[in-house]
Amino acid sequence: MTHFPDLGTWIAALLTLFALSFLYKDNPLFRFTESLFAGVSLGYFLGTTLNQTLVPNLIKPLTHEFGQNWDLLVPGLLGVLLYMRYLPKGGWIARYALAIYVAYYIGLDFTRRLHGEVLPQLARAIVPLSTFNAHTFFVSLVFAVGVFSVLIYFFFSKEQDRVTRRVARVGIYFLMVSFGAAFGFTVMGRVALLIGRLNFLILDWIYPLLGVR
Amino acid sequence: MAGFVEKLLNIDRRWLFLLVFAGVAVPIIMPMGLPVTTTGSTRSAFEFIDGLKPGDAVLISFDYGPSSAPENDPMAEGIMRQCFTKRIRVVICALYPLGGLQLANNSLAKVTAEFPHLKYGEDYVNLGFKDGAQAVMKRMGDDIVGAFPVDVRGTPLAQIPMMKEVRSLHQISVVVTIATGIIGEWWITQAHPQSGTPIIVGPTAVGAPKYYAYLNAGQLVGMLSGMKGAAEYEKLLAARYPDLGRFYRTTRAFTATKGMDAQTVIHFVIILFILIGNAAYMSHRAALRKAAAR
Repeated sequence: MTHFPDLGTWIAALLTLFALSFLYKDNPLFRFTESLFAGVSLGYFLGTTLNQTLVPNLIKPLTHEFGQNWDLLVPGLLGVLLYMRYLPKGGWIARYALAIYVAYYIGLDFTRRLHGEVLPQLARAIVPLSTFNAHTFFVSLVFAVGVFSVLIYFFFSKEQDRVTRRVARVGIYFLMVSFGAAFGFTVMGRVALLIGRLNFLILDWIYPLLGVR
Repeated sequence: MAGFVEKLLNIDRRWLFLLVFAGVAVPIIMPMGLPVTTTGSTRSAFEFIDGLKPGDAVLISFDYGPSSAPENDPMAEGIMRQCFTKRIRVVICALYPLGGLQLANNSLAKVTAEFPHLKYGEDYVNLGFKDGAQAVMKRMGDDIVGAFPVDVRGTPLAQIPMMKEVRSLHQISVVVTIATGIIGEWWITQAHPQSGTPIIVGPTAVGAPKYYAYLNAGQLVGMLSGMKGAAEYEKLLAARYPDLGRFYRTTRAFTATKGMDAQTVIHFVIILFILIGNAAYMSHRAALRKAAAR
């Protein structure tokens, strides 16, 4: 039995074609799809945040067990205060909520950066001599030269002389290799998206349409 | 010759789009089954999960949206299949606002249909989506219920049997973040230092290079890089578990292994473009120099 594509598949397939039509040239169908996508995304985000975050984490606890959750009024109120900026003379009120919000994330991010990035990465950059062998020596040497030369390249506090310019040049080569790797990965990632779309168009839309099993 | 080079340099780029289109479409219509080799980072992720005992809990966080689903879906589904085959309990959550929850629901429904004996609430649970990923991770480190008072169906976590033993990230054996953007990094740099829970990341290929620094520093136990990483994982699963091997060989659904055929062809096409483009450019420049010397 062949399954004729359902309405959802038709809509998704046509919107995919409209989006890809931009590759030929800009056109009203592409612009319609672009606007529709932006609108649907915003609607989805609002609905999901309301149903999955605001209702279970704020509204239900306050309405069902107020005595145990009255402290949630504070973050709830701060959230409401953020919208005061839309009042003609109430903009200053929103700043208090924003200040608390920013302070919270600075505090969170400070420890995150230190314990999650700076310290572990520094520890990795300092290799114990006791575990040296030919392989780790070579890898560590490349690593150390790369870190040092790239740091010199980005050191702008002093004008570069003949020696530091050469070291910085080595840093540029390391950066180029890094950019090349990133570009290769980016190509792979973008092609994967095209594979996903064409896979959908061919296997879920065209094949059922043609009765191919 | 000069005329041909001139034509090459001025070719309408839409012809190149058409070639890329054909390069992707043909392997989808006629799969080639090209071989996939595995890398150390994928093997270590696979072995880590394979080393867990039945009853251990794995948290899979859907931190990506539909825009990267062809890369990320096969990773999430492969890891779920491995966990369910080994009777490892799975906790699902979504921290990516634009579609993470929908993809989590879809993948979970698809994979649990393959394992009908599993029970919701005992073998797996879907916590749903929560906004404010950093704050959510911070709270989960101490108290999962504080961040997710109810699951995706609205059931209080206290009423879900498996969540009585899984109270914080400390009771999670490994967090698997399937990620696009920065949320994967937050699991590594915030949740891991706070709780010590090992992290496996499945980034999109675009995001993969930055994760190598974390991998080298020992902050990750493994990584699946883009569609290639997902295909490697499928290969490891198929080799270790005969039932999954049969599944991946016979399924009509999209898998990363099938996608790698198109990846290989298209990379060949792109490399060819780069070589031809550079050769034409250099030939054109040499002709200009010669003309100037005259």
